[in-house]
Amino acid sequence: MSRRVPRLIAQSCALGLALALPSAARAQRVHVIAAAGLSGEPAFRLLFEAAVSTLVDSARARWHVADSSLFALAEDTNGTRMRATGRATRKELEQSFLALSRRVAPGDIVLVFLVGHGSGEGTDSRVSLPGPDATAADFAGWLAGLARQNVVFVNAASGSGDFGAALAGPRRVIVTATRTALERNETRFATPFVRALTTDEADADKDGRVSVLEAFAYAKKEVARVYEADHRLLTEHATISDSTLARSVTFGAPRSAPTDPRAAALVAERSELESQVAALRGKKESMTPAAYDAELERLLVLVAQKTQAIRALGSGAKP
Amino acid sequence: MRRRRLLALLGLVALPACLGAWQDADPRARVRALVDAGKLDDAIAAARAAGPDLASMLGETLVLRGRLASADSALQDAVARKAPGWRSAAVTLAELAERRGDHADATRRAQALTSAYEQGASGWSSTDRVAAGRAYLLQTRGKAAAVRSALSAFDAAFAADPSNLDARLRAGELFLDKYNAPDAKASFEEVLRKSPDDARALLGLARVAIFASDAPSMPLLRRSLEKNPSLVPAHLALARLHLSAEAYDSAAIAVRAALAVDSSSIAAWSLLGAIAWLQGEQPQFVQVREAVKRLNPRPADFYAELAEAAVAHRRYSDGITLAREALALDSTSLRALGILGNNELRTGSMEQGRALLERAFAIDPFNLWHKNTLDLLDSLKTFTTIETPRFRIVAPREESALLATYLVPLLDEAYDSLSARYHYKPQGPIRIELYPHHADFSVRTMGIAGLGALGVSFGNFLAMDAPSARQRGEFNWGSTAWHELTHAFTLGSSEHRVPRWLSEGLSVLEERRARAGWGAGPTAEFIAAYGSHHLRPVSQLNDGFVRPRSSGEVQLSYYEASLVCEMIEKEFGPKAVTDMLAAYKEGLTSPAVFARVLKLTPAQLDAKFYAWVRARFASPLRAITATDSGRVLGGEFVAAMRRGAEYLSRKQPDSARVALERAEALFPEYAGASSPAQYLAGLAADRGDYKEALAQITRITTRYETAWDANMMEVQLREKLGDTLGTRAALERLLWISPYDVELHGKLAELATRAGDHRTALRERRAIVALNPPDPIDARYQLARALAESGDIAAARRELLPVLEQAPSFEKGQALLLELRAAQQKSPP
Repeated sequence: MSRRVPRLIAQSCALGLALALPSAARAQRVHVIAAAGLSGEPAFRLLFEAAVSTLVDSARARWHVADSSLFALAEDTNGTRMRATGRATRKELEQSFLALSRRVAPGDIVLVFLVGHGSGEGTDSRVSLPGPDATAADFAGWLAGLARQNVVFVNAASGSGDFGAALAGPRRVIVTATRTALERNETRFATPFVRALTTDEADADKDGRVSVLEAFAYAKKEVARVYEADHRLLTEHATISDSTLARSVTFGAPRSAPTDPRAAALVAERSELESQVAALRGKKESMTPAAYDAELERLLVLVAQKTQAIRALGSGAKP
Repeated sequence: MRRRRLLALLGLVALPACLGAWQDADPRARVRALVDAGKLDDAIAAARAAGPDLASMLGETLVLRGRLASADSALQDAVARKAPGWRSAAVTLAELAERRGDHADATRRAQALTSAYEQGASGWSSTDRVAAGRAYLLQTRGKAAAVRSALSAFDAAFAADPSNLDARLRAGELFLDKYNAPDAKASFEEVLRKSPDDARALLGLARVAIFASDAPSMPLLRRSLEKNPSLVPAHLALARLHLSAEAYDSAAIAVRAALAVDSSSIAAWSLLGAIAWLQGEQPQFVQVREAVKRLNPRPADFYAELAEAAVAHRRYSDGITLAREALALDSTSLRALGILGNNELRTGSMEQGRALLERAFAIDPFNLWHKNTLDLLDSLKTFTTIETPRFRIVAPREESALLATYLVPLLDEAYDSLSARYHYKPQGPIRIELYPHHADFSVRTMGIAGLGALGVSFGNFLAMDAPSARQRGEFNWGSTAWHELTHAFTLGSSEHRVPRWLSEGLSVLEERRARAGWGAGPTAEFIAAYGSHHLRPVSQLNDGFVRPRSSGEVQLSYYEASLVCEMIEKEFGPKAVTDMLAAYKEGLTSPAVFARVLKLTPAQLDAKFYAWVRARFASPLRAITATDSGRVLGGEFVAAMRRGAEYLSRKQPDSARVALERAEALFPEYAGASSPAQYLAGLAADRGDYKEALAQITRITTRYETAWDANMMEVQLREKLGDTLGTRAALERLLWISPYDVELHGKLAELATRAGDHRTALRERRAIVALNPPDPIDARYQLARALAESGDIAAARRELLPVLEQAPSFEKGQALLLELRAAQQKSPP
């Protein structure tokens, strides 16, 4: 009995890990719609375009997103260094969603990223665009076609808070730069959030991929740091709708299963060891520090040795 | 009724310059006018001549003149006969009881008045209502409602008779007593609009200026005394100003002028006692104390005054002793509780200090200082304390590890250096508090926000802004800490008797000795002000700190004081400074100290220093001229700078360079943000002459302690030139300007690692972890690696395990773990 309980825990932890890493099990495609709204002045335009550009470039280069799954919409396609696929108009956005809804497969990840100036409240919350603005109600309608995908909807615009409630739904993570529609000062959230998704900095558990939750935590911390450094009162409070789903939706280089069966076995063994580390963490409070440290080190050394062995086989499989 | 009001109003406007014929018709107005003009003896004679109806006024005027026995008799008579104004007489009797320490009698009399007032005030005149207000003020201990009632009575008095300016003045004085300067000011200004020469209103405005530190108070005080030379509170305010500047003789003259008017003024005697005590004149002090005891056998206020004076002169432990004496005589003395509470806090007795302030706050809930301090103590609970054998560093939890990483070694270095120089070691650990919000630092220092300083020293307790309290480049937190710690040595070695100018001068000088570039340096503003005689001679230098005549004088006085110290060391040897501190410790006055140690009179020292400065800054003094107010006007230096700027704007770098080099030759010590070197460095960098750019920028970084941009430029230039040692030195300087840039710490760590300087590498890696960087896992991994490289395998393992616990897939961490295992197996512990 005393042996079964830990094993059960270990199994459920391993199961949890498997659920948390769905992309490890199969090729999961990522699709991106990123739009820079109306800027109003050159400094904002540079800022907005830089965020969208960095995100799209990284999606292409790091996450290997196909061009056909990338929609990069700019305020103005002329005079921009951004490789825009179209103008960030309401109509163009609608068409992008429509096009995407025809390409996606169940379980795919759809990342929608908006940056700009926001206004309105409730379902009438909007992002300023050239021509008619797009409201939260519009986006709710367009997202209806993506019911079987994991949607990460990021509105980094000012006054974006009410998008959270307007778009909430199953299989959706809604991230907004502000807590309410009333936080209408210029926001700083977009830049660190994009940096989080497109570099390794936010990869808190160093598993080689950045979850939406990791990116959100990173960006939120960086925003606070910027305000503190500027000696300004924090006027934006980012929110996230579903932290459980946000933990499991990750971005990074696609995982490839090792082709060498020896490597595949090693990877599986290492996964099992990692799950044992996770199980051990759960027992930390009930163990003496010395016993815990000794067991932790033993497991970690084994994990490290597996990685060393995988590397030695030259499979290149990422953990 | 209407006619009387008109007459009274006319009287206030016209008197005291010419007393008209109508005075005979209204003897009250005549007495009042004489009182307002300070002619108290004439007023007394006039009141006597007017007969029993003016008994109340006679009694009150006799009180002002200090003739208390006669006053008592007249007042009792007025009350007994219910003569006109008898309620004023009654409250004056209550106030007299309070003055002689008979609080029970004072309260009984005051309560009788206020009870009657509360039962029905419909028949009460404006003057009677003022009397009610005064009676409420005698019952305010622990009763906030009484303060409000007093104010309400004064307002009612003024509403009943808008010509009764006494009502408005008393409201203003009450506002000020309760720390409401804006309303106080408005009240006094309202009075002055009706009566432009009102001495009490002028005094009120002077007190507001002193309270708010936003305007010169001396001219207002002088004008007040010009209008009423018998206004004792004005003489005392003047005395306090002199005392704060350590001008004891002037303070004593002002107090004696007050006593000449009212020899029964306990406040005046107390100040005289404070002056004697501060100067160590024991026989005179005893004489004064006995005089006070004759007036009030339990003179708590006397000791409270002494305690305040002691604290104002940085003798904090004496202040504590004296405040305790005051409390022994009156356990509810608000002043004593406040002084004792605040100074217990300054000496690190936090719980005792808090308890005392809680008691004080219960008595007077309007006290802004006490409330702010109690609030701050609440937030101080979240701070972290780091203990070392010598120091107790208290800092915000999220910054404490970072700040202590740098501060502890710096303070140890300073301690060793200063204890050797001053032959003194402070007793017990020195407490240093760092505040991330300047307002909190200000509250900790003086109870309210608005202090301009960066740091403050109360001896063994130092408080300062944390670097996060200000914008980057506003101050150098290392030099500030060094400066404040120096005070602990100069104050301690002189038993807190060193004058302000000398303590500040030595602190700045020690900053300059600590690191190249730290401490104030010469500026064009200093040269202009000194050259045009707008800075004080040595013998009056304290005034430059406590009674500045212009907004920039305090700052310039710091530098001037440091030059005086520098000159003394150079001309008389380093021992002269410690001899001076020892002489002050003995209780000698400054002239006596100068005579004993320097063999100079104050005038001779002034002349010597003047000649020394003229010689040292001969070139810039010739090249910079000043306006009438001592500000920079022009001269060859300014002209050359302007030419340089003009050529720069016209994109004529060669001509600009010639002009700027000329400016630099005229004032080579100048290294501010817009100094010639700044521009010349830029010009050299533009033409690719990095060595010259470096030479120029180094002029700034080794002279100007907050030069963030210049140090950053030096880092880039030295990197270009491959000078890693110089790059590290510039990075170290940057960290004392702002320690929050993760990238700079990383750069310094890498350079130190490459140079095999594991100690610095470790410090930097620890700093990065303490900064809670964007990638904390990687930061801790880097720290583990640095520990491993320094040979501390066990510590590296301790650091690494939690990293991998959180991120078991972290490959770099895994590799390091295997390395550590291998190293451990090679050489087991």
